[in-house]
Amino acid sequence: MDNLLEIRELAKNYGSVIALKSANFSVSPGEIHALMGANGAGKSTLVKILTGVIPSNSGSIKVNGSLVQFTSPDNARKNGVAPVFQDPALIPDLSLRRNLKLTNTDISKFQEKIVEFGLKISLDEQVSRIELPLLRMIDLARALAHDPKLLILDEITAALPANLADIVIRVMNKEKLKGNSVIFISHRLSEIGEICDRVTVLRDGIDVDTFKTEDGDENRIVSAMLGSKISQSLTESRESNLANESLIQLKSIQDNKKLHNVTFRINKGEVLGVVALEGQGQDSLFEILAGERRVSSGEIIFKGSKVQFFHPNDAIRLGITYVPGDRKSALMPQRSIRENLALTKFPRILRWGWINQKNEDLMVDKAVEILEIDTRASSQVKRLSGGNQQKVTIGRWITTGFDLLLCFDPTRGIDVGTKNQIYQLLSSLSAEGKSILLFTSELREIELVCDRVIVLYGGKIVAEYDATNCTEELLLNAAHGRVE
Amino acid sequence: MRIPLREQTWNISILGLVVGLTLWRGNQLPVFGSYEIKTILLGIIPIALLAMGQSLIIIGGGINLAIGAEAILINCITARFSEGTSFSTSLKWALIGILIAALIGAATGWVISKSGIADIVVTLATSFVLIGLALFVQPGPGGGVNLEFAQAFSGKGDSFVAPLLVLFLPILFIWLPLQRSRIGISLYAIGSSKDAAFLSGVNVARARILLYTFGGVFAGICGVSLTAITQAASPFAVISNTATLNSVAAAVLGGVSLAGGVGGLFGPALASLVLYYIPTIMLGYGIDPAYSQIIQGALTILVVLVGGLLRSRGK
Repeated sequence: MDNLLEIRELAKNYGSVIALKSANFSVSPGEIHALMGANGAGKSTLVKILTGVIPSNSGSIKVNGSLVQFTSPDNARKNGVAPVFQDPALIPDLSLRRNLKLTNTDISKFQEKIVEFGLKISLDEQVSRIELPLLRMIDLARALAHDPKLLILDEITAALPANLADIVIRVMNKEKLKGNSVIFISHRLSEIGEICDRVTVLRDGIDVDTFKTEDGDENRIVSAMLGSKISQSLTESRESNLANESLIQLKSIQDNKKLHNVTFRINKGEVLGVVALEGQGQDSLFEILAGERRVSSGEIIFKGSKVQFFHPNDAIRLGITYVPGDRKSALMPQRSIRENLALTKFPRILRWGWINQKNEDLMVDKAVEILEIDTRASSQVKRLSGGNQQKVTIGRWITTGFDLLLCFDPTRGIDVGTKNQIYQLLSSLSAEGKSILLFTSELREIELVCDRVIVLYGGKIVAEYDATNCTEELLLNAAHGRVE
Repeated sequence: MRIPLREQTWNISILGLVVGLTLWRGNQLPVFGSYEIKTILLGIIPIALLAMGQSLIIIGGGINLAIGAEAILINCITARFSEGTSFSTSLKWALIGILIAALIGAATGWVISKSGIADIVVTLATSFVLIGLALFVQPGPGGGVNLEFAQAFSGKGDSFVAPLLVLFLPILFIWLPLQRSRIGISLYAIGSSKDAAFLSGVNVARARILLYTFGGVFAGICGVSLTAITQAASPFAVISNTATLNSVAAAVLGGVSLAGGVGGLFGPALASLVLYYIPTIMLGYGIDPAYSQIIQGALTILVVLVGGLLRSRGK
């Protein structure tokens, strides 16, 4: 059968930086094709070229056998290629209805899709007031309303809770039955085997492996992604290092409608996992601990004394640091890695009003080394890949020193190699006696990184498990409120 | 189409302020009739039109520091060439003036989107060029216009119908259709998020050129109205600079966010009334006009502050 999409020797470079060297890739009709690769392997570049966001330098794209060159996302859409980008492409200040009008989307078709998803959305809602997971579903519905031949889903499941991710998978299978194709990009390896027909792995801008999913497993993907780099065992369980001394205790924390009677403690050197579906109060919990949000009632006891936070600075001074889920809100995108790393340290580097450059350099170099940050694009953080950006957000706290690290979904949208580095980083921090509160949307991480886990549902803690012997199934059930 | 709640609350608040100030002003005057209303309307038409043009540009994520100069240049061109002419010649020059303003706007937008230079830099430089041109066309105060043409703008006798139309026709025939069209939505879109707009299929460069073109149309109408109301032209940078800054103040007072993507044109049109009333009322009490500047500045900050609070509560 003829290929729906055929890419030959596609290449793209930005000045001296080569983003895509020579990518070959094809999608047949009615196929779900996974596109895999570590951060910086060229996936995003390939998607951008395919959707008309950027032009390629050389190589060819054929759709249904005829040569095409997409000049804009609109142009790509008209040729039957509809993308759902990693960041929602909806205008925040406009209502949903006007957003649909902007893209010439058939409103009744859109609503049909939303109903099919089992969701309810008001078209007059302003986009900036809609939560991120729902926005991704809206983006998907909008793409489907254009009846695409080829749907490109870039990390769509990364920000989705399990129930919405299931809907996406159903949609993909339905498109497949209709004879349409899907390019699926995900860092969740477990999804690939279940959903996809074929996998193409990119490494350093070249397609290094393409195979049918029944011919290979997760290990084949991982080894292709990592190449010569030695892949670390993903299931290596951590040694726990528990002092039985509590660092922080939360007592009956109440936050309007978001949190009810939340009580737990974290010991010194402990990694406590938090598992929850989207919007179960985990955001409030982290914001309260980070000093960004005040509690309605209840108390927080830190190192034996009652504390109250009025400003994030209060929490930071006590040694509680927060790594938010949205990397963009934590970084200064236009500034260098150096400045981003040094930002949180200014109170210490400041001497007689001047920045002690030598001191700063030492600290920054140390952080870069520990984190193995790729410094090729060090002049502006926004040019780093997502994984490296995440390392910078964590790294800035390392030399400052802290007692409790609040990590909100730190591995979202990050490749396996970088994920492993972050796991190791968290483990070594806890071995040093630091405590960590980790919210993650990837249940597998609980067993890998955590000592204990609490499950939030409807703003309440519905379950608490020892992390070493709880299954993903158990956690998922609890996250849906199903606790025996 | 539904106007967003935030914009409604803002418009209502500004309307309340305007009603209050109108009552106050009405109290100052011995009679408050048709003639007084006409005076007020004639006083605000130029600044209201300019504020609408500026607001449109700010909504689209830009800012035009040359908008006052555009208006003054058109004022000079029309006053110079319409002096002592027939109604139809004056009308012809008015239309040519608006067309020139639109072209200047388009050129400004083109330079901004093609060069990648910041709006504020390009338009500031443009303002010098335009004032220079205005002086070239009309070296000093002077010029004129056909009387009937002037009356078509400023109304005959005490009737305030004509100035009211001058104020509302641009809203009716430019803004309302624009707001409902895909072009209008793309102007909001590029102001709100250029990246998301591009991914949604908006031709960002073209939208920005259109944005400045529409801004130019409003500036052009403003220039023509200046000619009709004053029946003369004054090519002075001081006037154009004050007008530009007032247009920004009215936009902000009228609920347009300087960050782009938020607001409409009704609010700024109402806000220009506020900017008109403050010095007039103070003058009515015999207070030094210098104080009115202080009040105007303080009020702008206050309104934006309250508006910001309303917005954060609404979220």
